[in-house]
Amino acid sequence: MNDFLFGMILSELEDAVGCDHCSTREIDKLTHSIDYFWLSRLWADRGRHMPEADVVVSPASAKETSTILKIANYYKIPVTTWGGGGGTQGGALPVCGGIVLDTKRMNQIYDVNTESMYIECGTGAVYKHIEWAANEKGYATMHYPSSLTCSTVGGFLAHRGIGVVSTKYGKIDDMVLQMEVVLPNGDIIETSPAPKHAAGPDLNQIFIGSEGTLGIMTKAQMRIYAQPEERRFRGFLFRNLSDAFKAGRELLQKIKPSVMRLYDEAETGSIIKKIVGVEKKGAFMNIAIEGISEIVAVEERILLDTFGKYGAEDLGSEYGEKWWKEKITFFYPGHALDFPRMFGTMDTIAPFDKIEKIYWAMKNAIESQFPMARFIAHFSHWYEWGAMVYDRFIVENPPEDPMEALRLHNQIWNCGVRAALAHGGVVNDHHGVGIKLGRLMKEQYGPAMQVFEGLKKQLDPNGILNPFKLGM
Amino acid sequence: MQQTSRYRETIDACRFCWMCRHICPIGNATGQERNTARARALVLSFVARNCEKLENIVDNIYECALCGACTRECMTGWDPVSVTTEARLNAALDGILPDSILQLIDRIEKTGNVFGETQIDSALVSIIDTLPKMADTLFLIGRNAMFRAPKTAREAIHLLKKTGIQFTATVAEPDSGYALYFLTGATEETRTVMQKAAEFFNRYKTIIVFDPLDASLLNRQYREWGIPVTAKIITATSFLADLVKQGILQPKKGNGIYTFQDPAALARDLEETEAARTVLESCGTLREMFLNRRDTMIAGHLVMAEYLPDVILAAAANRINSAMTVEAKTVVTACPSDYVAIKAVCPNSIQVKSLEKVVLECLQD
Repeated sequence: MNDFLFGMILSELEDAVGCDHCSTREIDKLTHSIDYFWLSRLWADRGRHMPEADVVVSPASAKETSTILKIANYYKIPVTTWGGGGGTQGGALPVCGGIVLDTKRMNQIYDVNTESMYIECGTGAVYKHIEWAANEKGYATMHYPSSLTCSTVGGFLAHRGIGVVSTKYGKIDDMVLQMEVVLPNGDIIETSPAPKHAAGPDLNQIFIGSEGTLGIMTKAQMRIYAQPEERRFRGFLFRNLSDAFKAGRELLQKIKPSVMRLYDEAETGSIIKKIVGVEKKGAFMNIAIEGISEIVAVEERILLDTFGKYGAEDLGSEYGEKWWKEKITFFYPGHALDFPRMFGTMDTIAPFDKIEKIYWAMKNAIESQFPMARFIAHFSHWYEWGAMVYDRFIVENPPEDPMEALRLHNQIWNCGVRAALAHGGVVNDHHGVGIKLGRLMKEQYGPAMQVFEGLKKQLDPNGILNPFKLGM
Repeated sequence: MQQTSRYRETIDACRFCWMCRHICPIGNATGQERNTARARALVLSFVARNCEKLENIVDNIYECALCGACTRECMTGWDPVSVTTEARLNAALDGILPDSILQLIDRIEKTGNVFGETQIDSALVSIIDTLPKMADTLFLIGRNAMFRAPKTAREAIHLLKKTGIQFTATVAEPDSGYALYFLTGATEETRTVMQKAAEFFNRYKTIIVFDPLDASLLNRQYREWGIPVTAKIITATSFLADLVKQGILQPKKGNGIYTFQDPAALARDLEETEAARTVLESCGTLREMFLNRRDTMIAGHLVMAEYLPDVILAAAANRINSAMTVEAKTVVTACPSDYVAIKAVCPNSIQVKSLEKVVLECLQD
């Protein structure tokens, strides 16, 4: 684009959001060009610049967002939405340049509705801030991912995030009542006033997980919950994963714990040993049950009886409480995986009859084809019908050359995800797809991909929203 | 550009970590990605790798209040504030300070204060004139209160006079060096200002320091840089609490409903969180704002307000929102910076008072 036309478009954007909220400063372009995706971090680590936006705009409302999208649609400029930038899949990276639309000025908390139990807020609100707003009234959002303090409501919605108490309270897509969305043509729409209805398909679920490719969510009603009277932890050590799966599956037919996390032997012997202090060998499982104290006491008895049947060693409450206290510490510098290592979390999900096979298939595939890679895993979100596996590969000494490292990185990812798909898994459980895994979407969905493509073509015929993400 | 190994380690630790985003009063006020410890570390990591020039991003390292919320929040002990101060020092040494910062330094050189003021509030001068010229105890007003919040300084002096304690204050008190330290870090110029101030302070046995930013500087940076202060340093808040505890001041408990805006320097740097509460609980009902004590967020910053006034007002507005949530009628401050900023954005339904003013009113009752 020539300088003159760029200047003309820039002045339109400034008119839409104000000069202070429309930036071509190097600092703004640079900080919006690197998210938590390992490859973008690699580029930064090697002192290379990732693709940058031409301009970063920060609208304060759906109306301003609408104006920006109308401008972008007219000039056919790519628009990439940026919330907190904490995504691991490169979903927020402006790989085609154009506009980065930062949502964080849309951070208003409009209503803490304790009658209908939701908070209405702008999607640019940091989730921790809506948690504080709930806490101030004696409630909680019960969405506690490791990125709680840094990611936005919109970010979690965009990639279908999940928190550590998901087994009882659900995933982010279970926590939304209604949303306001700006379509690529600038129209501002609202989804159904209630999430459970028979008035056609659920509009919420079309936009949740769409990673900014179909529209920009600008407002949401997020559920809040009563604080539990009591939250009790219990740590267990299983001889092996199989016993743990059987025990977990049976438990979920009886009660719903909040936290359920099972660590394979490798992760029990490394991260859990280091941070929680479990020294014994085996598969560590941490369970939390919570709610009204009387019910918690009953559920704890059921838990102990059920797990006892499968030979689990009861480690008491100490390790579980320690885990709860340290649950975010895992992700701070010094504990989190970081350079110089290459790593990736290839989380996937499947019914119980497949998930253990998927774990072994992924582990065998990675370890046999990439002997330089270490494989560790835990199973941290459980349902009555299945569970997810949070499996990670770690390469201690990746190639120094970034392109060579990129190649190896993608080869390992292809290998792991394809092993999951071949055994009934999905491309991803709760980190999303982004640019990282877009190429694998068609492999999972096959002809079903045309449903997404049809939506994209109808809503965004110029393809301005977040190009090359989600495989679209 | 000089870089300590700790500086390199910290920027490499923080450059991909956003865990303290939620607690940054500046980032929360602006909603800008660049106003995070992560963003600063990221761009400084590019500078450290010679892939970006410090002068291109130097404005950003001045968009930080050095309040320490990020450092307090970090569960693995990294200190983004130290990185920012070191980057400011490097910018000063390399002669690449932004024009807005150079103007402030110029003001300090010409007038002895960052505000460029040459006149002192006449009412403040008048009350100082009523004090003994010499005493063992100095009430250190500080540049912020003297030039931007003289009313709060008058209230404090007025209250102290009521106790009968022998103390003095002077309009000729030296600059503690806070503003220069904030703007340029540990430069020789900063050190010179501090040494000169220390010589003055050491004429006294006790110094009651009104501004927590000055108190923090005296307790931390002066010691760290080997500038001896022999006088006993006590914050005005602690001094006041002691007077209440000893019964020298006996406020009458009334119906006032207060919330306390913990100054970051007082709560985090000096770990003084209970003194103000002791005082307020003797005066009325205290309702805690959501982020209190060491988790506080700053409401104001008088030096920063000289070059980013709108940002500081937005930060203050966020704190007012917190105060309104607990339905307090009065926000009480113990820091001139917080007082000025909150006063500027406070709705009519809420009053803003210094801690000393609250006690004065309860004595009058």
